[in-house]
Amino acid sequence: MKKNAIACFAVLAFASLALTACSTPNEEVAPTAADVSDEAVEPVTISYWHTMSDAESAQLDSVIAEFETLYPAITVEPTRYAYDDFKTAITTGLAGDIAPDTARMDIAWVPEFADLGALSRVETLVPGFDEISSDVFPGPLSTTYWEDGYYGLPQNTNTQVLMWNKSQFESAGIMSAPVTFDEFAANACQLSKGTDQYGFALGGTYFWAPAPLFYAAGGEVTDPSMTTAKGYVNGSGSVQAFTILKDLYDEGCISPNLLGGGIGTADGHGTGLYSMIIDGPWMVDIYKGSYPDFETNFAPIPAGAGGTSSVVGGENVVAFASSQKSDAVGKWMAYLLSEDAQVSMAQVGMIPTRASLVGDTRLPGYFEVFMEQLETAKARVPHPNWGDMDGAISNAFQRILNGDQLVQISLDQAAQEIDALLK
Amino acid sequence: MQVLFFLLPGFLVLATFLILPMGYSLYISFFDWNIVDPDISKFVGFGNYTEILSDTIFQKAALNTAIYALVTVPGQIALGLALAIALNGALRGKGLYRTLFYLPVVTPWVVVALLFEYIFVGQGGLANYILVDLLRIASEPIRWLADPVLAFVPIHLLGIWKGVGWVGVIALAGLQVIPRDLYESAALDGVSNWQKFRFITLPLFRPTLVFLTVVLSIGAMNAYVSNQLITNGGDPQDQTHFILTYMYEKTFSGLEFGPGAAISYLLAMVVFMVSVVQLRLLRRESALGW
Repeated sequence: MKKNAIACFAVLAFASLALTACSTPNEEVAPTAADVSDEAVEPVTISYWHTMSDAESAQLDSVIAEFETLYPAITVEPTRYAYDDFKTAITTGLAGDIAPDTARMDIAWVPEFADLGALSRVETLVPGFDEISSDVFPGPLSTTYWEDGYYGLPQNTNTQVLMWNKSQFESAGIMSAPVTFDEFAANACQLSKGTDQYGFALGGTYFWAPAPLFYAAGGEVTDPSMTTAKGYVNGSGSVQAFTILKDLYDEGCISPNLLGGGIGTADGHGTGLYSMIIDGPWMVDIYKGSYPDFETNFAPIPAGAGGTSSVVGGENVVAFASSQKSDAVGKWMAYLLSEDAQVSMAQVGMIPTRASLVGDTRLPGYFEVFMEQLETAKARVPHPNWGDMDGAISNAFQRILNGDQLVQISLDQAAQEIDALLK
Repeated sequence: MQVLFFLLPGFLVLATFLILPMGYSLYISFFDWNIVDPDISKFVGFGNYTEILSDTIFQKAALNTAIYALVTVPGQIALGLALAIALNGALRGKGLYRTLFYLPVVTPWVVVALLFEYIFVGQGGLANYILVDLLRIASEPIRWLADPVLAFVPIHLLGIWKGVGWVGVIALAGLQVIPRDLYESAALDGVSNWQKFRFITLPLFRPTLVFLTVVLSIGAMNAYVSNQLITNGGDPQDQTHFILTYMYEKTFSGLEFGPGAAISYLLAMVVFMVSVVQLRLLRRESALGW
């Protein structure tokens, strides 16, 4: 504990946290020995950190209110962070022994924090875990698994689909969204008009951006058991995906913004600069606010050698190992996965993770294409070093676009770099 | 005893927020550090230091930081000195100019970094508008931020622009202590303006110059915000990192606390050496009776 006390001071200085934050967390609710026998009625406050938007936070408040009616002894205290600051906040929280009881975090971070020993296994922690996990989509569920067990539950999921500007398509004589890679490439070039309009745009070179096309082309990053990337990230599907993107880029059919310093995909699509982009369900609310007259159109990702596919996104709810309130934490996590909570959060654009809700009339209409896409969507490599692997692929993609290296050679290098990270 | 009593509050604040964390971070730099359970951290000796020194991204970051210092420090001093000389002369509206040139200094880094990012955006940015549409120097828009070399154009320009006002104020103070009668007697001897600058202004201005060089160099080595915002740290391809953006990425994105702490100590050593050189230079000057 002495080390932790020093750590606490160090974190205080670096993060300029208030001194009070270093006192025993939530001491007002920490049960004393005398209370243990009477645990059921002893009021408990649990903390829950998240990165939700304004609308989502407001909806979360009503979900919490319903939960607290159900369990009057438990109070949930939500704290909202900006996504960019969230990992730092959790890290400094861990260093200073002030980590929350629960949090909703990016699915890609779960293996990383589980590997650090920061998270609790949830199989016995969450009441009814077996029933919940058997009903959750397998893709999102796989993102909670690390080494020996489950370290969270998929609270909400999402994926990316194709967004296409119908009126631009129609004025070019194209009546529907592309269904195959060939149609997609042809449409992208047909709709490009120099620097005035680009048929397609990607948000950047980080893996999330090209991932749907990568998976649809039959690409894989590693083998299923995460032992090697050789023959996977530099395999034929992967090479095909990046070759198509490179060709489109050279022909001026993809906006140059993906290499940095350009107009973002959301604004570009909303203003008609980019005819097609690939993005998620949150775009509906973004366009409602920024471009209320813009007509959003979704379509499944065009099919390549691997059929249609996409990438699984979303967030998992996790329990921190430092929490002393496992009973309340388990109940809260189970409630977030309940049909009531899932349907409630769906009203603000969060896609439920329970398969039993597919086709439920209480869900917004535009969810349909995303739920359909989720059936074939794949999760990124659930590994603590995923961030560095993402960087290796992103750098390879940049070398390809800049013409520094041929597609195969660049991906061979990425495979070598990822293999080093898998060890 | 009374002295100690008055020193105590300041010392406690320093100890809590500076000395203790510095010592602790030095300790961390020798471990494969586990943030959740420090007790299981593995001692690796100088392992983190050798790992970082042979890391090609770190080497590039160190080079980028050195170039940034070599470009922006002389840049700020030359322009700041020119500004100070202009303001030191008989100029109408001196106060207004002083305020205007000081404005960038007090504007937050985040605001001006975003501003420069927008100016140098590859599609439709102001810089491209001027070069392509107005001056017609470039035939097509330049994608500043997509190029590992050109990305430094906005970063270096920002570094210079932001500091000129501060250098101007310090330099002005340095110029004003130079006795007027030296210039008057030089004028009697029929000395040219350049000779006045070369043989009176520059030698007597030297202590200020040394001070500016050292303070600005330390500032340049600690550059972080502009790079983090304009190139997300290292984009493209980890080629544009500064030492501090790489330290942040290692520590808080990669959760590699040992190597992160090692980077901060390597940087601290360089900053320390620069400070020692400064003290030597100043001492030499006082020995010469300046």
